[in-house]
Amino acid sequence: MELAEPLTTGWRAELALGFERRGARSVLAARRHDGPLEVQKPLYPEGEGVCHAIVLHPPGGIAGGDELEISARVGEGAHALLTTPGAGKWYRSAGAWARQSIGFEVARGACLEWLPQETIVFDGALAEMRTEVRLERGARFIGWEILCLGRTGSGERFARGACRLATGIERDGGMLWHERGRIEGGSAMLDSPAGLGGQPVAGTLLAAAPSIDDSVLAACRELHPAAGEGAVTRLPGLLVARYVGASSEPARNWFIALWRVLRPALLGREAIEPRIWRT
Amino acid sequence: MSTRDLRLARLLQLASPALPVGAFSYSQGLEAAVEAGVVRDAASAARWIGDVLEYSVAQMEAPVLLRLHAAWRKGDAAAAERWNALFLASRETAELRAETAQMGYSLARLLPELGVPSIGFEEVAFPAAFARAAAHWGIEPAEALTAYLWAWLENQAMAALKAVPLGQTEGQKILLALGARIGGAVARAATLEDDELCNFAPGLALLSARHETQYSRLFRS
Repeated sequence: MELAEPLTTGWRAELALGFERRGARSVLAARRHDGPLEVQKPLYPEGEGVCHAIVLHPPGGIAGGDELEISARVGEGAHALLTTPGAGKWYRSAGAWARQSIGFEVARGACLEWLPQETIVFDGALAEMRTEVRLERGARFIGWEILCLGRTGSGERFARGACRLATGIERDGGMLWHERGRIEGGSAMLDSPAGLGGQPVAGTLLAAAPSIDDSVLAACRELHPAAGEGAVTRLPGLLVARYVGASSEPARNWFIALWRVLRPALLGREAIEPRIWRT
Repeated sequence: MSTRDLRLARLLQLASPALPVGAFSYSQGLEAAVEAGVVRDAASAARWIGDVLEYSVAQMEAPVLLRLHAAWRKGDAAAAERWNALFLASRETAELRAETAQMGYSLARLLPELGVPSIGFEEVAFPAAFARAAAHWGIEPAEALTAYLWAWLENQAMAALKAVPLGQTEGQKILLALGARIGGAVARAATLEDDELCNFAPGLALLSARHETQYSRLFRS
């Protein structure tokens, strides 16, 4: 029994998923959840080879003090696509940090796609977001994050609060990608041309594969966001697309267009958009 | 020559533009910022360079250099290799990564000729090689970092002179103004905990990526 729970204590929620390949089918073989994080019944909109799963956070937003932990392991040869039903929201905090930690493991020859809808960080939120991806030999991963600072629809700016970002990708224990961000509400970095250049939305798409051909890089570079600024680069075993702009929509559409190029090239499958994106 | 004077001479050698690592051929996104119209005169060049110093170099490269220096000083090659790998993975674009890897390769090849033990990593980031030499020559960490940041700043100012272009006097004024910020950056780098290191500078990353396909260019980054 907890006798003196501080008022700032939020919800702890945990979701752990395990995907496996059984015959030609990728199945959601293990799921464990604790607190308000769930996964909907797996979907197979493109045949049995790819298991689509929608990660739900029923409270709809993350408040100060909340701690969310999402993990997924994709076993040898399996292919899973994870998405979310709507924008993730991080509410203004009264003083406690909210944390989300995502850990993915992708085994030999397996594929994982993490394609969540955008993340809106309300003015005054204290948000810590951590994503660590571990790939075994031959594993492939495509993931994106569209970060929107402030509720831009109502003209809100990210004037107070803070957002900490940590994203890492490893392959066989070697680091492919290491990004750490500390965004302070109202700070000069938000307006700096080297930072966010006065724009509220920053997006990053990461695609990791054992090899990424020049032709794939070139095809990605043919695509441009309808509004805002975008650019694509290629590091060893990793393609990175960056977006900075005024709203999430062009970022998302550009990332989907890139995904339509990357998915067949790196994962060997045509891109089939999850229907939930259009509802 | 006293030991102290000798250390200073070694440090000046290491931080000199005459060090044959090809630093002059890299602008680290500055040339792309000129192309994008973000940098167009002395004031906007100073702002750009100062912002890259503050948001990227001072919060990642600088504290990583201190950790590399400490690792080499202790003879802990495994720790040095971990920070070397982390720094390479923190480079946001192909050109920024190639820059540190090529400069690191050149310096790592030179150092054994100067009596500094070789490094032996598969790929050497420039700060790892710089820290190797500084630690071997007994240079204090804060002094090594001050010189490292000065060399970086001087190279950025020289890139601005060519790319904007700016006059020599304007370049010297930028060095005078931003040089005064190095001390603060060194002091802050020394206080950062491992989980406070930060390299998130999306505008820099975006422009650097764009430079890879820029039609007309003087620099390799």
